[in-house]
Amino acid sequence: MTAQQSLSLITETLNNSRKEITRGGGKYFILWGCLLTLFSLLVYCLWKTTDKAAWNNLWFAMPVIGFVLERIIRRKDAAGRVQNDVSRILGGIWASFGIFAVAVSAFTVIYTQINPNPLGTIAVVVGLTAEIVLLFGLAECISGVALKNWAIRIAGLVTDVGGLIIYYVANSDKEQLLIFTFAGIVLAVTGLIMKNQKK
Amino acid sequence: MFPKLDPILHSELRLAVVSILAGVDEADFTYLKTRTGATSGNLSVQIDKLSSAGYITVEKGFKGKMPRTTCRLTPQGQQAFADYVTALKQYLSVPKD
Repeated sequence: MTAQQSLSLITETLNNSRKEITRGGGKYFILWGCLLTLFSLLVYCLWKTTDKAAWNNLWFAMPVIGFVLERIIRRKDAAGRVQNDVSRILGGIWASFGIFAVAVSAFTVIYTQINPNPLGTIAVVVGLTAEIVLLFGLAECISGVALKNWAIRIAGLVTDVGGLIIYYVANSDKEQLLIFTFAGIVLAVTGLIMKNQKK
Repeated sequence: MFPKLDPILHSELRLAVVSILAGVDEADFTYLKTRTGATSGNLSVQIDKLSSAGYITVEKGFKGKMPRTTCRLTPQGQQAFADYVTALKQYLSVPKD
């Protein structure tokens, strides 16, 4: 082996490791993207049909189902999966986002029950949907930075801009839920791009 | 005067194994076999050599009922890999006549 060949081998192997981790993360993006799309459409349809905002409580089932499905995928993947600093950072970013989204939503539900607001629900007053979608896009964008992947960074930006456009165009609280449908589709498509990345 | 390249690392398969381990916390035998495309026998021999040199640790255990061999780069291995890359760069930075 020449010095040039050795250095090429090292560079290629390190690049492949990064791509491997990106590909591995793709299936989790697809999983959460599909769940987000399905739940947003389900809550939207039920809320629109019955005119009961209480259907929003269904959202709390999403992280539970997602967590169980993620555990199943991780168990199946155990042999072919590796961890490094990047995968740990990714896990941390999305866990922080998940904890934030659930905590703020739970706080909003509880606060609204205790202290009804004459101006409308607190979710509307504080722009909860816009807040969550902005953080969602930010988490996606930071994931792209960690993985050095432009497609993911752009997807994060598209989620934020597209989400805010829907937020301002939407006529009602119900329609605002379609922001999450949009965000879910973008996340799932990003996951597909990651998963099918060339070796 | 060029620095001597570490003979343990200056082999295609061993270098590939160490490069993979340099980018992850740990990797099992199956993963290394898939990534390097080596045969089980050859990979096993090279892993033993790296382990004997103190560059990697090899842990044999079970994942459920399946045996699992996990490899991890030691601090000594990390240093050797860093020195090897530095030496390679010196070889390549010499202007050609």
